[in-house]
Amino acid sequence: MIRFEPVKMRSLLSSACAVLFALLLTACASQPATMTDPEQDPWESYNRKMHAFNMGLDQAIFRPVAKSYDFIMPDAPQRGVRNFFRNLAYPVTFLNLLLQGRFEDSLTATGRFLVNSTVGLLGFFDVASKEDIPYYDEDFGQTMAVWGWKDSRYLVMPFFGPFTPRDVLGRGFYGFFYPPSYYAREHNNYVPIVVDLITLRASLLTFDDDIESAHDPYALIRDAYLQRREFLIYDGDPPVPDYDAMLEDY
Amino acid sequence: MKRLLPCALFFLLGSSPAGAVDERDPATVITQAITRILEVLDSHRAEFTQNPELLRNVVRENMLPLIDVVYSARLVLGRAGRGVSTEQLLAFSDALSNVLINRYSDNLIEFSSDRQIQVMPLKGKNTDKLTRVRTRIKLTRGGFIPVDYAFHRTDEGWKAFDVTVEGISYVITFRNQISPRVRAEGIDKVTADIIAGNVSLDE
Repeated sequence: MIRFEPVKMRSLLSSACAVLFALLLTACASQPATMTDPEQDPWESYNRKMHAFNMGLDQAIFRPVAKSYDFIMPDAPQRGVRNFFRNLAYPVTFLNLLLQGRFEDSLTATGRFLVNSTVGLLGFFDVASKEDIPYYDEDFGQTMAVWGWKDSRYLVMPFFGPFTPRDVLGRGFYGFFYPPSYYAREHNNYVPIVVDLITLRASLLTFDDDIESAHDPYALIRDAYLQRREFLIYDGDPPVPDYDAMLEDY
Repeated sequence: MKRLLPCALFFLLGSSPAGAVDERDPATVITQAITRILEVLDSHRAEFTQNPELLRNVVRENMLPLIDVVYSARLVLGRAGRGVSTEQLLAFSDALSNVLINRYSDNLIEFSSDRQIQVMPLKGKNTDKLTRVRTRIKLTRGGFIPVDYAFHRTDEGWKAFDVTVEGISYVITFRNQISPRVRAEGIDKVTADIIAGNVSLDE
């Protein structure tokens, strides 16, 4: 574990604060005041500012770190590490399947976790997927949606990016149960959770070019995020969008 | 050989007579088209890898007749399509569908017909006017990519107008990317930019 001397730590903190402040200033500089999706994104003007702040932070810190990691680590071990963390998250998925009343699926999930933790060598190899054991993507945000909190507006969180209030709450529960964050709390050791975040960011590097070259990167991320969440909430079979309404004012 | 191939393929695959009503159901339409494309891809992989344009032609010939490109373009334009002439709309939808088909085709090169494409049973709200075909493309490392096609009923039969990959719809996503540009710069400029490859259509 890395330990800083107090003085060093303080100067590091103050320079970090200066960087953040500068980023916030640029974030507030200029953004169009139009509402592109008043129904799902009524907080757009705040969200755009926070998005700009996050993008600046990403440019300055997260992406360079993820890129270095991506450069050093060959693809196969990278996938292995992603698999490892994904497998660690699976008990939380199991819990959410139970909370959603999907008992049969929760048994399948247990099987997947056991297979990958043993034959898959602690989860580094996703043997279960090769064996066609289904992968369920469930979290507390989705569980609350299944319980009735269907619509939650778009909210860009500082540092973490795209969210909704429902999913912020869900992520809070998740952080409580997710083994690496539990480990970080109990042992005051943040190495596993930081590695998890770096590998997560690295796995998203492929989208960077697309986002950057988009006409409106903010809207691209928002639209993709909200559609993806809807897709997961309905387990791959969301209601068909109201295409007719898109032509209404045509 | 290279120049002959597209012609040969065209005759081999045939084309449906114009104006005829296609009575096949959407799931059959999409399965047959993809199967045919993958078969051709399997037997000409080397040529296609060397010259992606050839595969694009095959995909275009097989997919374009199944797509209602004008309806799709109108959905993407939304309110920005107001006051656009028929010629402008056709030029825009041509440019848009061309880029999409090229992208689809370039992603297809790694696939083969032994890579199963599974068509899921119909679920959810399906009417005699609108339906969705859900497919899954299996990955060699396990798991799958869900690719869904939205179809609507036209005078010529069922036509696709939207593709959804991993839950992210092309129409919904590009609406917010393209329609503000059309409103700001005019449709002719945007169409020209799409043709010149200056508009990013990536997901």
